[in-house]
Amino acid sequence: MGSIALWRRLYVPALASMGALAAPVGAGIPAAAQQAAATTNDSTFDPAQLFASTCGFCHSNGGRSAGKAPQLMNTARSDEFIINRIKNGKEGRMPAFGQAFTDAQIAAIIKYIRSLKPE
Amino acid sequence: MKKRTKYIAAAAGAVVIATLAAPSALAQPVDTARIEAGGPNDWLTYHGSYKSYNYSSLDQINSNNVSDLSVAWIHIPGRSTRGLQSMPLAADGVLYYTGSYSRTFALNGATGEVIWSYFPELDEALISRQTHSPYNRGVAIGEGKVFVGTMDGRLIALDMKTGKPVWDTKLIDSQKLTVGFTGAPLYAKGIVIIGAQGGEWPGRGPIFGVDAATGTKKWEFLTVAGTDEAMKTWGADSWRTGGGGGWMPGTYDSETGTIWWGTANPAPLYDWSGSDYKTQGARPGDNLYTSSVIGLDIDTGKLKFYHQELPHDTWDFDSAVGEFVMLDRDGQKLVVHPNKSGYIFVYDRSANLKNVWRITQNSNFVRDIDPKTGELIGRRDFSAGKVDEPLCPHISGGVSFNSGSYNPKTGLYYKLGQEWCMTLTVQKTTPITAPQAQLNLGADFKIAPPPGGEIYGHLDARDPVTGAKKWEVRFPEPPLASVLSTGGNLVFVPDSRGVVHAYNAETGAELWSHSDGTGHQGGIISYSANGKQYIAVVAGFGGMATDDYAPTFGGVYKSMPRDDGALVVYSLK
Repeated sequence: MGSIALWRRLYVPALASMGALAAPVGAGIPAAAQQAAATTNDSTFDPAQLFASTCGFCHSNGGRSAGKAPQLMNTARSDEFIINRIKNGKEGRMPAFGQAFTDAQIAAIIKYIRSLKPE
Repeated sequence: MKKRTKYIAAAAGAVVIATLAAPSALAQPVDTARIEAGGPNDWLTYHGSYKSYNYSSLDQINSNNVSDLSVAWIHIPGRSTRGLQSMPLAADGVLYYTGSYSRTFALNGATGEVIWSYFPELDEALISRQTHSPYNRGVAIGEGKVFVGTMDGRLIALDMKTGKPVWDTKLIDSQKLTVGFTGAPLYAKGIVIIGAQGGEWPGRGPIFGVDAATGTKKWEFLTVAGTDEAMKTWGADSWRTGGGGGWMPGTYDSETGTIWWGTANPAPLYDWSGSDYKTQGARPGDNLYTSSVIGLDIDTGKLKFYHQELPHDTWDFDSAVGEFVMLDRDGQKLVVHPNKSGYIFVYDRSANLKNVWRITQNSNFVRDIDPKTGELIGRRDFSAGKVDEPLCPHISGGVSFNSGSYNPKTGLYYKLGQEWCMTLTVQKTTPITAPQAQLNLGADFKIAPPPGGEIYGHLDARDPVTGAKKWEVRFPEPPLASVLSTGGNLVFVPDSRGVVHAYNAETGAELWSHSDGTGHQGGIISYSANGKQYIAVVAGFGGMATDDYAPTFGGVYKSMPRDDGALVVYSLK
């Protein structure tokens, strides 16, 4: 496969979702989430991959262990709390991902967290 | 002759200053020659002078009287989210430093009185989305200005006397790329140089040269595929996932007009290529100019030379960390540069390799690095899946981003090493070319002790060229802050528990210690104000490396704040 074709296969979906990110900073979270929903394919969203690319820097071992941030496996936090924390973050502790993920994707993240088992 | 005149003028100015109540009233301008000379009373650039010794020749405080050292004054910058990480500077008795959110202060070095402060208005919504933020590592000074970078991609010049903005230049579209500036700039020859964050983020990791007088961008060098040669080392257009950057300050070689800078790792951090990384995996090839030291022409930003310390770095061991210690040894002009992996590289002034030695005890990402060729021998290139043997060192590195100290009186290089490892499972992930979720790791991982032992840190006193060790002091948890050595035969180590230690520079015997009440992860300097020597250290914990301490070590770290900090200044009673 030529490099241009390969690039298209690998990167075009990612670039398509970039529109959500390019939303003006300061835009309300619900609006940004709606925009993300319009440009991202929720069905291919893989929370396990997300932990291996982003969340796992702090939520160690795919969320199974405490690291820079708390262990998520068996967390007693409510869905509402986790949704709020993912969207809005916490100063100095966790970035705000409200502009990055749709509500459906956040729901998939919570489902992943609830299903975590020790390795 | 012209240069000499400047030195004499600077020295005369310092004498006058010592008799004045207002320390900077008759100060001489801070310029390239003065920073190069590195006068004993000042600390004019991040690493002290362009020689990057992180050393003060002052000896009022010395091994005979250090037991009388006590707190002279304290300054609280406020809003110290993720602690304090900056290196203070000092010029003519005035101390300049930054806190989180690029809060910038000028303080009377003798009393701590605030001369001016400047809190930039920042894009807080952007900052709330950033991971490696909102700390700031310090300022540069020159031409009557103080230069500070911001997390929303700007470089700001402040009037050195008043703190009022002179210019404010937007260099990066941080709203699009997420990253900005946390590292201190470098001033030299009318140019302010600053490098962007990079590493885990998609982007091309620019380093900028900006006109100090006007704020106009003069040049930009891309650490990811910045030349045609480099572009060929990113297979399958993987330069688009990028990384790189130069998030800590380098230095300036005035003899050749060259900026030395270290660059960060490529993304994703952990590749699933297996051993054939030249053609397989996330980013086939060497990925120039990541995890490299580079030499740039200060006037044009053109690449003059480079050495890639870790070709195809797949362990997140930047070259962006680490001072460039400029030595003259037996007629040879050398540069000593620690890589985050814990290997210390020794170069000539064109980055030709002269030696490589290692400060860590626990290291297995490679079996060794050839000291003559720099070849990585027995490198571990992972495939997707669980990695059997823990990887050493841990992602926080064999050395931290903070600085070691070279003492020309003892001829020893004082450097902290970190002994820790990590378990990891490498995951093949979709390439990330836009920072929607910001990072691009490529693995799940967890901190782990070295095989058969415990995590610890150590201060080593070594020959900087050969690595021969004279003495070592161990710490139960790795200290992460910078080290200071002085002409008073002292080495100061601010540790992670919050204690500042002073050691005999020749023997390593502990002579004094004092608690600052919270952990250290930033700079320490010495300077003189009104003829009196001071030691200034920033205290305040929190950030990517230190956030692991509470769950890993417990104890004092469980209650240690990660949103607090102070500048603590010591003098003799």
